[in-house]
Amino acid sequence: MIEVRDLVYEYPNKRALDGVSLTVAPKTITALVGPNGAGKTTLLRCLAALEPPYSGSVTIDGLDTREAPRRIHERLGYLPDFYGLYDELTVRRVLTYAAWSHGLAPALASAAVEKAAARVALVGRLETKAGELSRGLRQRLAIGQAIVHEPKVVLLDEPAAGLDPQARRDLSTLLLQLRDAGMTLVVSSHILAELEDYCSTMIIVDDGHVVGGKPIKVRDDERPRYLLELAAARSDLKQFLLAAGIDVIETGDHHGLFTFTRNPSARAKLIRDLVKAGFDVASFAESTRAIEDTYFAQVRDKAS
Amino acid sequence: MNPEFRRNIWLELSPRRLITMTAVLVLAFFAAALSGTEWLPSTTAVLIYYFIVVFWGTRNAALSVVGEIRERTWDFQRLSALGAGEMTWGKLFGSTIFNWYGGAICLVVILAYRIAHDGAVAGLISLVYFVVIGLIAQSAALLSSLIAAMRRQRHTQLEVFAYQVIGIVAALFAYDVWKMADPAGSIGGRLRPTDYIPWWGQSFDARAFLLTSLALFAGWTLLGCYRAMRLELKMPNGPFVWLAFLAFMGVYVAGFDAWLPKNGAISVRDAVALRLALAGTTFAILTYIMVLLEPKDRVLYRWMGSELARAHFGRIAWSLQGWMMSCKAAFIVGICLIVWLVNENAAPAAAFVGSGLGFLLRDVGIFILLQTLPGPRRGDFAAVVTLFALYVLAPAIADGLGLKQALVVFYPQASTPVWLSPAVAWAEAIAVAGLTIGRLASGAKQAAATPAAA
Repeated sequence: MIEVRDLVYEYPNKRALDGVSLTVAPKTITALVGPNGAGKTTLLRCLAALEPPYSGSVTIDGLDTREAPRRIHERLGYLPDFYGLYDELTVRRVLTYAAWSHGLAPALASAAVEKAAARVALVGRLETKAGELSRGLRQRLAIGQAIVHEPKVVLLDEPAAGLDPQARRDLSTLLLQLRDAGMTLVVSSHILAELEDYCSTMIIVDDGHVVGGKPIKVRDDERPRYLLELAAARSDLKQFLLAAGIDVIETGDHHGLFTFTRNPSARAKLIRDLVKAGFDVASFAESTRAIEDTYFAQVRDKAS
Repeated sequence: MNPEFRRNIWLELSPRRLITMTAVLVLAFFAAALSGTEWLPSTTAVLIYYFIVVFWGTRNAALSVVGEIRERTWDFQRLSALGAGEMTWGKLFGSTIFNWYGGAICLVVILAYRIAHDGAVAGLISLVYFVVIGLIAQSAALLSSLIAAMRRQRHTQLEVFAYQVIGIVAALFAYDVWKMADPAGSIGGRLRPTDYIPWWGQSFDARAFLLTSLALFAGWTLLGCYRAMRLELKMPNGPFVWLAFLAFMGVYVAGFDAWLPKNGAISVRDAVALRLALAGTTFAILTYIMVLLEPKDRVLYRWMGSELARAHFGRIAWSLQGWMMSCKAAFIVGICLIVWLVNENAAPAAAFVGSGLGFLLRDVGIFILLQTLPGPRRGDFAAVVTLFALYVLAPAIADGLGLKQALVVFYPQASTPVWLSPAVAWAEAIAVAGLTIGRLASGAKQAAATPAAA
C-alpha cells in the first residue's frame, strides 16, 4: 500500500531523511517511532504528499506523491500532531464539511457522517459546537474528520498525546476497527507502551534513517513473542533454545525472549523439555512489551 | 455547492448578522437622505461600499488562508480533494460573502442613482467598475497572503494588516486609473482626466479601454490566486501561464510608447526601440518583484542544479519560478533591443541596455546570495538594503566626492569609453553569480553531512 524508495528530504541546512526505503502492507497498523527530531513527522508529511521528496519516490496505493498529490489526498486521512478544528461549527457540520471536501456526494455524506460519528463515539454530540468539546472528544472528532471519507491510508501523528487512559484504550480499539475495516494505518508516537495494543509492524527512524533498514514485524498472531524467566541463572539458555529450533530475539542468564507458535500443546512440550533439561522455569508468558523490547534491542544494536 | 464556499456561508451568514447589516445600512442611507444634499444616499453608499468591500473585504480575504494556518486547519484543507479552483473561489468569495452582501445593498442605491441621473449605460459601467475594484482588492490581498504562506511566514496581526494594505493599494491604483475616465466625475484621483487613450498607435475610448484593462488585471490577479493555491496544494504549475502573463504585460505596456518622452535615457526616437525598451523594462520590474516575493528555496535551487546535471530539462521547466522566466524574457527582449540599436548606429544606447542587463543579473544574484547566508529570514531585507546602498547611498557619496566616472560601478550609466559601463556591470554580475553558485554548492554538501537530529 505504501512504498518508499531511497527517499531524501532536505531542509536548507540539514538532511532530514537520508535514503529511506520501506514498504507498508495493506490492512496493517505500523508504528513509526524514534527520538525527537529523528524525522518521523517529516516522513509522515512526505507520505501525505505534503512535502515533495528531494530525491527518491513515495508511492501510495500505486500513485507517486510527486505526480499525483491530489489523487493521493483523496485516498488519505491525516491527523497532524498539532491540529485545529472549526470551533464555531457543530460536530455534524465539521464532519459534513470533511466528507464533502473529500469528494463525497451530499447524498452519501450524511450516512458517512453518521458512520464516522459512531466510530469515534460522538453520535450524542453531533449538534455540539467543536469548540465546546473536551480535549479527548476533540481528538476523537479530529480522527473522525480524517476517516469520514473511508480513506485507504490513515496517517496519525501522535494521536494519543494528552489523552487519559480510558481515551487511549478507546483509541486503540478504534484503530483496530479501522484496520479490520480495510484501512492501512501508520501511527507515530513517543509512547511505546500504547503502540503495543494495536501495532503489528514498527519502523524506527533515527538520524533520518530507518534503523535496521526496514520495518520490523513486532506482532505475529500465529507466532507471538514469549518471555521466559528463570529462577536460577543459566548461561546455556540460548544454546538450548536454538537447538530446539526456536527463533531467539534476545537472551540473558535469567530470561529469554523468542517467537513461538501459539499452539498450546507445543508450548506445553517446550516447558516440559525446559524442566527436563534442568531449567528452573519461573514464568513463561506472551510478551506484552514487544515494541518496547524490539525498539531498545534495535537501538542498542545501532549504538554498539 | 462548493464545500469551502458552503462552510464559509455557515460561518459568515447567520440570520442575526444579515439583519444587523441590513438595518445598519438602511439607517445610514436614511440618515444621509435627511442630512441635506451634500451627503446623498448614493455618495454615502459609495463610501460604505469602499469600506465594506475594499477595506473590510481585503482583511477577510487575507485571513481566509492565514486564519487556517493560524488555527492549524490548513493542512487538513490541503489534504482534501478540493481542486485549486474550488479552493480559490470558495475562499475568495466565501470569506467575503458577508462583505459582498453589504456591498450588494450599497450597489442597489448607487445604481439606482446612477441610472436615474446618467442612464442605464452609466449604471452598467458603474456596476462593472465597483465589482472589479472589489475583486482586484480582495484577490490582491488573498494573493499576497498565499505568497506569504508559500514563504512560510509567521502570520502575525501586523502581517495580516500588510496583506490587507496590499489589497487596498491595488484598489487605490485601480481607483486612480479609473478616475481618468469616470463619467461620474472625480472624487479624488491624481491622473490627468482624458477621453482617449493612445495605444499601439490607435486612439481608444478611455472608459472602454480602462474598464477593459481593469477587468483584465482583475482576471490576472484571480489567476495568480489560483496558481498560488495550486502550489500550496502541491500541484505543479508549469511555465505556460506565467509566460502568457509576460507576453500580455509586454504587449500591453509596449503599446504606451506614445506616452514616453522621446529624449529618454536611451536617446532613441523610433517606436520599435521604445516598445522593446518598455517591454524589457516591464520584464525587469517583474523580475525584481518576483525575486523579492517568491520563496528563494535553496533546496529547490540545489535540486534544479542536480536535475540540470542529469539533463532533465523538462522537470526543470515545470519548476521554474516567476523571476527566472521574467529574467529570461528581459534578457531576450534586451538582446533584441541591443541588436536593433546597433543596427540604428546607436552604440551608446546599446551599451546602456547591455549594462542594464548586467546589473539586473547582479541584483538577482544578490537576492539569492543573501538568502544563502546565515539568518535566512533577514535575507530579503538585507538584499533590499544592499540594493538601496548600491543605487542610492554609494552613488550619492561618489557624486559628492566628484567621482562621476565611478558611478558606472553602481548602475547603468553613459560611459567613456562606451563599453566601460556594460563591462563593469557584467564583471559584477559574474562575480555575484559565482559566489551564489558556490554558496549553493557548499550548502548542498553541508546539508548532506548534517543528519536530521543535529
